[in-house]
Amino acid sequence: MSVETTAPVTEDQVTEDTVLAEISGMLRVLLDEYGLDDVEITMATKFHEDLELESIDLVSLSAELKERYGNEVNFAEFIAGFDLEEIIAMTVGQLVDHVVVSLREAARG
Amino acid sequence: MTKILAGDLDTHVQRLPPAIPVDGEAPVVVFIHGLLTDSLASYYFTLGPAFAAAGVDVVMYDLRGHGKSDRPATGYQLERFVSDLVALLDALDITRPVHLVGNSFGGSIAFGVAAAHPDRVATVIAIEAEPPVRAWTVRMAEGLDLAKSQLTQDAVIDWIAVNNGKHTARLSRAAGRLLQVTSMLEDIPVSDTIADDLSAIRCPVLAIFGADSGLSRQVPYFEAYLASCRTVVLADQGHSVLIERTDETRDAILGWVRDHALGRVG
Repeated sequence: MSVETTAPVTEDQVTEDTVLAEISGMLRVLLDEYGLDDVEITMATKFHEDLELESIDLVSLSAELKERYGNEVNFAEFIAGFDLEEIIAMTVGQLVDHVVVSLREAARG
Repeated sequence: MTKILAGDLDTHVQRLPPAIPVDGEAPVVVFIHGLLTDSLASYYFTLGPAFAAAGVDVVMYDLRGHGKSDRPATGYQLERFVSDLVALLDALDITRPVHLVGNSFGGSIAFGVAAAHPDRVATVIAIEAEPPVRAWTVRMAEGLDLAKSQLTQDAVIDWIAVNNGKHTARLSRAAGRLLQVTSMLEDIPVSDTIADDLSAIRCPVLAIFGADSGLSRQVPYFEAYLASCRTVVLADQGHSVLIERTDETRDAILGWVRDHALGRVG
């Protein structure tokens, strides 16, 4: 694993902007499969309504998150508290917030 | 994405290792989703994480033609789904008997594997499912015919969008497309079947039904013919048992796996 793809280690390095940029990158790869490569992704973007992603795409995203952040961000545990309707209605911002909180907790040890 | 070659099929798999240590080997539970609008996501967002947390080795995968697995144009007889699952176990190097959880059509696959490969199956857990007997092929033919004629019409999809929401409408349109671009409609009704006396199923079976679904009428049939069977019928519940009654389904299956585990769970 190269230095560029290692998760941020200090609390200060974990910001909403950096995490949003990283997750947007993962989403663009997914969207590219569907030929959608020029969509604006913000904190308010909804996975299903705006990006037309299905629950199976969120499984792929979850695998990407695990690869990027390791066990410090547990997507499966995060969404275990949601029902399927809530998962479908989720925004990118909700996920970014979860990642930021998880990484800060991990950095604090 | 986690894809492995199982037989000749590029298969999307999500495996969750047991999160707690167990005495001996962790039981392996393979989750099989339903037809057309379904994918492994139905388990990934319901039972999967809870089973891993309880000490189970969880295997979830997308069936051929579904989710992010390959979608060949032909080859959708039940026995193809059966051999896909055995090829997947081989590819994952899983040789000991596994528990098969199958939802709807996925349950028919589970029964099919238990009949054709009894040495690979510890128990079958069938959620709202039928064994692949001759009458099942007739009902599948009728259901798939109806689905194809309805789900390929824009007016029907628009109606679904208004009454069931945009998400269901999108899944329904994708299901219609699946029936147009593959031979599923032609293949499933000519699948290999098992005898009506269910003598081919020798492992223990846990069958879970919604009381309001037509499928719960099979309870006396299962209890009369299956060698070892426990049935659970959930009151005021239709076909969507897994999604609408997730907690009860999880508890019933985890208890069952504990009772039948090679290694001890939880």
